[in-house]
Amino acid sequence: MQLIDALFRQGHLSEQSLVEALLAGDRPAHLDRCATCAERAIEMGRWLDDVQSIAAEAADAAFPPERLALQQTQIMRRLEQLDQPSRVIAFPSQYRIDAPDRHARRVAPAWVGVAAAAGLVLGVIGGQITARLDTANTDAALRAGNPARTTPADATGPSLFDFDLEPTMLRGTPVGTLDEMTPSMVSARAGG
Amino acid sequence: MTGTDTPPLSTREADARVAVDVKALQAAGRTSVARERFTELVTRHQRRAARIAFHYLRDAADADEAVQDAFVKAYLHIGTFREELPFEVWFTRILINGCLDRLKARRRREKWLAPPPLDAQGVERNPADYLPSRGPSPEDLVLSGERHRQLMDALSQLPERQRMVFMLSHFDGRSSREVSAMTGLNESTVRVHLFRAIRRLRVLLTENAAARPRVTRRSNRAAH
Repeated sequence: MQLIDALFRQGHLSEQSLVEALLAGDRPAHLDRCATCAERAIEMGRWLDDVQSIAAEAADAAFPPERLALQQTQIMRRLEQLDQPSRVIAFPSQYRIDAPDRHARRVAPAWVGVAAAAGLVLGVIGGQITARLDTANTDAALRAGNPARTTPADATGPSLFDFDLEPTMLRGTPVGTLDEMTPSMVSARAGG
Repeated sequence: MTGTDTPPLSTREADARVAVDVKALQAAGRTSVARERFTELVTRHQRRAARIAFHYLRDAADADEAVQDAFVKAYLHIGTFREELPFEVWFTRILINGCLDRLKARRRREKWLAPPPLDAQGVERNPADYLPSRGPSPEDLVLSGERHRQLMDALSQLPERQRMVFMLSHFDGRSSREVSAMTGLNESTVRVHLFRAIRRLRVLLTENAAARPRVTRRSNRAAH
């Protein structure tokens, strides 16, 4: 018996002591001596049993054997689904418009760069050659129109500025006709 | 009797053996055999699990799903099961956690739903009570249904921990130590919760029993 029971309950067991004794199954010696507490213990035990049986009845009514069997089937089905690898449905192939052809030969990106660089170099060289050929043709034309000047002043030939300074060079040529029609920079400076 | 006879296994030992077998079979990739073996555990613990879940959730459909989920989780995570702990303790913990999650989800859901139907006394009616069943007479059904409803009403008024401890200790017959292992609560805390739950339940059930006839008499007088 606890001290608190002896002091405040005239030696009778508290409700907690009764509950603990009933649930743990060890009967306190006090119950053999005290009829009141023995009565309370019986009443408490009856109440606990009653509650337990009501609860068990209710649960068993909600879960009859058929329902439990169905539940077990559902559990096993779910476990089966877990163990089976999930099926992946492929996207329909006819709708894949821009699908890459796996069998086609792929070109390495490095070669694309090399080809672009080579193209650039060829373009520059070709451009230079064309420019030089044009210059040579112009020189030949100039030499044909003005035999006194067989040797150009410099290697690159006369520039447009030279023509502007020496208008007589162009006289008689188709370019000279055009030149006569347009005002020259020298006369513009002199006039200005 | 022969010398090769082995003593019968206790439930705990049998559970542990099955769990270890399932673990090994899963590891070996023999999943169909593992499932078959796992059925033993389902059969052994299903009714108990259904009772716990039903008292916890107070709804048969919810309890059904919670039990299914708990078994599926147990099968999936059986690799983490330790043999030194009884399988039913480990499994009950999974089940209780699942029930708690469901209760939380239900509370969130109920915020957005209309209030539940109430009877003449303003008590929430359980739709499962209206379902027909075979067996006992209608009078017995009404009486037991009434007693069950009173108990469920009283249980629902207990704080969550007290309810859980009371159900495991009293409905499921677990010792304080086992309840402590299942819930993660201290053993002394379990005892305190259990006692408080019993005291509160007794008060609630006595109040309900005293209030019901008064309500009935008042409603009869009003009808006359």
